[in-house]
Amino acid sequence: MTDDLKFPGAGRADSESLGQPLTGLVRDAYLPALPAESDAYWAGLEQRIMARVRAEGAEAGWWSVLAPWAQAGLVAATAIFALTSFINQRLSESESQYAYESVVQTPPPDADASESLFLASDKTAGRDATVEYVLSH
Amino acid sequence: MRIPDEERALAEKARAGDHIAFAGLVRLHQRRAYLVARAIVTVHEDAEDAVQDGFVRAYQALERFDTTQAFGAWLNRIVANAALDIARRRKVRTTEELSDALMSPFRDPAEDSELRARLAAALAQLPERARSVIVLHDVEGFTHVEIGEMLGIPGGTARSDLHHARQKLRGLLKDMRG
Repeated sequence: MTDDLKFPGAGRADSESLGQPLTGLVRDAYLPALPAESDAYWAGLEQRIMARVRAEGAEAGWWSVLAPWAQAGLVAATAIFALTSFINQRLSESESQYAYESVVQTPPPDADASESLFLASDKTAGRDATVEYVLSH
Repeated sequence: MRIPDEERALAEKARAGDHIAFAGLVRLHQRRAYLVARAIVTVHEDAEDAVQDGFVRAYQALERFDTTQAFGAWLNRIVANAALDIARRRKVRTTEELSDALMSPFRDPAEDSELRARLAAALAQLPERARSVIVLHDVEGFTHVEIGEMLGIPGGTARSDLHHARQKLRGLLKDMRG
C-alpha cells in the first residue's frame, strides 16, 4: 500500500483559495520529474533510502539526538578543551625544563663560595709567604 | 487521530531494529515526504536528498518515537527539517534555475505549456517561505499549525504568510498576462 498523492485536505476551498485549476497546475509542477505513477521511480528511491539506513542507521551516537547547532557547539567545546590541555601541557613542560636547567646548569652557590674561599686562602698564604721572605732578608 | 494498525505494527517492529518493517514505513510515506521536501527546496534532486536524510534521521531517532502517534506527521517534521538544512547549506538558486526545476521535461507536451511556464516563473519569483506555505497548504492540505511545526514558525505566521503569498502569486500571474 502506498499513499496516492491525494490527501484529505488537499486543494481545500476557502475564500482566498487559488482555485482548482491553478492549484492543480501547482501540484503538477511539484510532482517528481518523472511520471508520477512510475512505480519504478518510487521503488528505486525506497532502495536508496534503505541502503543509507543500513549504512548510517547504526552509526547514530548519543550526539545524534542533539540539534545541529548543539552538535557544532559540542565540537567547538571539545576543540577548545583539547587546545587548552595542549597549551597547559606545553607550559608545564617548559616550567619543568626551566626548573631542571636551572638546577643542572647553575653552579651551586656553596661551590662558588668554597672556591672563592679557597682562592682567598691561597692568596693570603702567598701574601704571608712574601711578607716572611721580605722580613727574613 | 486513529493510527492504522499496520502502521503501528511496522513502527514497533522498526523500533526493535527490523529493517524490513522500516522499509514498509518508507513505502507508505515516501511520496508525501518527497512532496513536503519539494515544497521547501523546490529542486527535485535537493528534495530527494532531504527525503533520504529525513528517513535516516527518523530511523536513528525511532527510540524516541511514540507509536501511539502518527508516524507520518512525525516523519514530515523531520523531513521538513532536513529540507530546511539543505536549503540553508546550498547556494541560493536563481529564479531561472527554480523556474526550470518547476518545468519538468517529463510532463505531457500536450498540456498548456505557456501557462505552465508562466506559473513556474511566478512561483520562482516568490520568496522561499511563501512558496513553501502555498504548496504545503493549497496542494498538500496541511493546516497552518502543521505548517508552522514543519517550518519552525507560529501557526498564525503561517496563516499570514499564506495570505500574502497568494496575493503575490496572483499579482505576478496578472502582470505576466497583462
